[in-house]
Amino acid sequence: MSIAAPEPKANMGQPVPRYDAVAKVTGMAKYAADMPLANPAYAYLVTSAIAKGRIDSFELTEARNIRGVIDIVTHENAEKLKDVKLFSEGGYMSTTVQPLKSADVAHDGQIIAVVLADTFEAGREAAHRVKVNYRPATPSTTFDSPGTTSGPAKGQASRFKEDPKVGDFAKAFDEAEVKITASYETPTQHHNPMELFATSCVWTGDNLTIYEPSQYVYGLKNGVAAQLGIDADKVRVINYYVGGAFGSKGSTTPRTAIMASLARRLNRPVKLVPTRDQGFTIATYRAETRHQIQIGANRDGKLVALRHEGAEVSSRPDAYVVGGTKTTTRLYACPNVDSLVSIVHADRNTPGFMRSPPEVPYLFALESAMDELAVKLNMDPIELRRVNDTMKEPIGGKPYTSRSLMACFDEGARAFGWSQRSAAPKSMTDGDWLVGYGCATTCYPTQMAPAAARVRLQRDGRVRVEIAGHEIGNGAYTVIGQAAAEKLGVPFENVSVHIGDSDLPPAPVAGGSNSTASTCSAVMMVCDQIRQRLFRALMPNESVIDKAKETVGMGQTPVAESANSGRPLDREKAFDALGVSVVEEYGEWKPEDAPKDSFRAMQQGQVRIVGGSAMSDKIAYAFGAEFVEVRIDKWTHEIRIPRLVGAFAAGHIMNPRTARSQLMGGLIWGMSSALLEATELDPRYGRYVNDNLADYLLPVNADVQDVEVIMLSEQDDHINPAGVKGLGELANVGTNAAVCNAIFHATGQRIRKLPVRLENLEV
Amino acid sequence: MSDKTNSTTRSGFDRRMFLAGAAGSAVVPLTARAAGPAPNAAAAPDPSLPVDVTLRVNGDSRLLTIDARTTVLDALREHIGLTGSKKGCDHGQCGACTVLIDDRRAISCLTLALAAEGRDITTVEGLAKGDKLHPMQQAFIEQDAFQCGYCTPGQIMSAIACVKEGHANSEADIREYMSGNICRCAAYPNIVAAVKQAAPEILKG
Repeated sequence: MSIAAPEPKANMGQPVPRYDAVAKVTGMAKYAADMPLANPAYAYLVTSAIAKGRIDSFELTEARNIRGVIDIVTHENAEKLKDVKLFSEGGYMSTTVQPLKSADVAHDGQIIAVVLADTFEAGREAAHRVKVNYRPATPSTTFDSPGTTSGPAKGQASRFKEDPKVGDFAKAFDEAEVKITASYETPTQHHNPMELFATSCVWTGDNLTIYEPSQYVYGLKNGVAAQLGIDADKVRVINYYVGGAFGSKGSTTPRTAIMASLARRLNRPVKLVPTRDQGFTIATYRAETRHQIQIGANRDGKLVALRHEGAEVSSRPDAYVVGGTKTTTRLYACPNVDSLVSIVHADRNTPGFMRSPPEVPYLFALESAMDELAVKLNMDPIELRRVNDTMKEPIGGKPYTSRSLMACFDEGARAFGWSQRSAAPKSMTDGDWLVGYGCATTCYPTQMAPAAARVRLQRDGRVRVEIAGHEIGNGAYTVIGQAAAEKLGVPFENVSVHIGDSDLPPAPVAGGSNSTASTCSAVMMVCDQIRQRLFRALMPNESVIDKAKETVGMGQTPVAESANSGRPLDREKAFDALGVSVVEEYGEWKPEDAPKDSFRAMQQGQVRIVGGSAMSDKIAYAFGAEFVEVRIDKWTHEIRIPRLVGAFAAGHIMNPRTARSQLMGGLIWGMSSALLEATELDPRYGRYVNDNLADYLLPVNADVQDVEVIMLSEQDDHINPAGVKGLGELANVGTNAAVCNAIFHATGQRIRKLPVRLENLEV
Repeated sequence: MSDKTNSTTRSGFDRRMFLAGAAGSAVVPLTARAAGPAPNAAAAPDPSLPVDVTLRVNGDSRLLTIDARTTVLDALREHIGLTGSKKGCDHGQCGACTVLIDDRRAISCLTLALAAEGRDITTVEGLAKGDKLHPMQQAFIEQDAFQCGYCTPGQIMSAIACVKEGHANSEADIREYMSGNICRCAAYPNIVAAVKQAAPEILKG
């Protein structure tokens, strides 16, 4: 065991090396743009230079004259694709702005033309020679811009069902002994996965194959089919590896159906590798948000009143909203709670999911305010969380399925050396460095969605697992393989895992941290079906097996004694009894509370995620505690983070190695979000000005020092058969606030607007 | 003036007007926004005429007939079929395309194939000897120094060069000299551990 592969504690699997490790270190892992194509035409996008207005005309002669140019497609000659609803409104799309449909421009960087050429170089040159005559209008681009429209999320975004509230906030706040009112802001951010938003489309007769990095191959397949107006069974999406996604590849972007349409027209494969800056506007982003938090508390720290008001930017046509009040209103015990979320519509591309979409901005506000309250109460911030810890969420009184928040704080504090902290701001120094310690709660809802799997077991013990899951760096190949190996009692090396292909049984979007819980629950259930067949052959008269069979597909794995994975199986004897060489089973699993149409929706690429705060009789979250040491040079204000410590509890850990890496990456994401990341908007033009990897600040190796991840044992039998809470989005939630709380401790200055830049510090 | 006017009316320098060079006309033609290096029309009369280039990649010589503007990265990926080296930015900002040219690390997206003629190019596909992985590849697996894996080929090529350059003597050194390779999954501490693990074996030869 090493730091990278921690010794498993109770309720943890083995830290086996990644299933796809050799492929990834040898360059053999084929990402979408790596798939070989026969004589492809290269597509190069032309995107709009205005954020609002109309295209009067194109001047294309010069571009068309470039050697190797095949065609240039604009709204004047493009196939008109069908309108499809937004992902979060029950459709598939990342935006309802469909380019190449009319002369209208809805946002900066919208696709307005596509050059097709025999080479990438010719396509690029021609794209630069396309001249566009615009009739521009003045865009309204963000908060405070004249001309935006604003309104409550409830009523315009169907995913946003309620503004949680309970008790009488106004009265309780009015009467509270100690009060905090503070406003916070978070910036626009872009996911910037390392892999570009590549798409290749190949037609064989009337069958379309798409190679594109996707967090949801069934969604993409069905979304493109709907846009093209063809049978979804004619569309196959293949992506064996996704080069990072973080939410940006979950919904169908308009580019894909455009490429499919062009490939059909040319009768030739089309390959698109958009540029990095185009990725800022042809896909989604994390919208800027604003918050006001009001907390009223007793002198002993107990919360008596909490109000969280949030506002988020979206595009003109789409009411995309993350609405993190569903989490912040339920995190701590408080009898009087109020909340309101609004959407501001601006002339922007439509935002979308980005790693921990609701929790990152909303917990930044709440966890900063909790620290402000602790300061005002002269109370240790951990003790403030302890006083308000609860096993029942306050809005509906529903019990948490499990909650190890304070255990995480205690373990984390020990590892971090929290007891060495002197409480007063500016009280710790080391030479020219002002030293600050800060902490915050992190949490993320436990979510699951219906999934199907096919598993084949051979007499010789080899296993093939098929499920259209997604390897986005989450370790999907590995944990799915482990789930099958453990259930069927074979070595991990015996299992071949097939994912990333929409011809395989459907899995949900790899988003909302539901992937491991959903896919592993489905695979485990199907493995149990195989075990039952084999045990039935060995013990044909044992009735308990039939009883177990009834639970298959009903949201639980079978509990029959004989099919229990704890019971050893004489595999070869069972196969001989059955008289076959291969046993194969297909099964569809759905979580408790899944709606009736779940399986039909699953086949149609429409995800029915359940869990978190939306369960009928309980609430399920993973928790953690995060600790940051910040050092600020008193002369230059340089900000360094020498130490990040996170302690997490997320139910069953399938693989401590891959889990630790995700949590570590999450902590660094959180630090990055606090100190580095912001997409700078020029409000005059609605244009992102730092749309490249040099100017959009991301951490590099030299920015990262000690990062410690602690995983606590936790068992939760009330969530899903795998017992998994999901942790891909757990670690980057609390870090923003923990960093700012540490900066307050170091400097006495409260930063309420992210990211923190040294020019904002007044040391 | 008709109602078709440019939105910008403020005085002083305006980038779009400057680009268009057509201030005063009723309908202002704007250069569309398509990123990438702007082609230099003066460089060659017709730069798209294919040229013959011989590249030596992982010990094999390959004769290519390609656009003169083709980068080493696109030559590898689109013409030779070696897709291990990755395109993350095409601007030399991310390091995903890092290869070794004459044993020095090079940003293959900013190196023209023509400029690499006659030189030894090593890519991630050229590291393993049959089934035996290079020590750096093995260390990346053992230290779990990647998640999505997209930056990994570039990280590994940089890491090997980092060791050979003598820049793997301390963790601080490794961090500094591995900072040209962005890992969005943020496997950085594990990358440092992998470089530390592999360095002695690589230096031993």
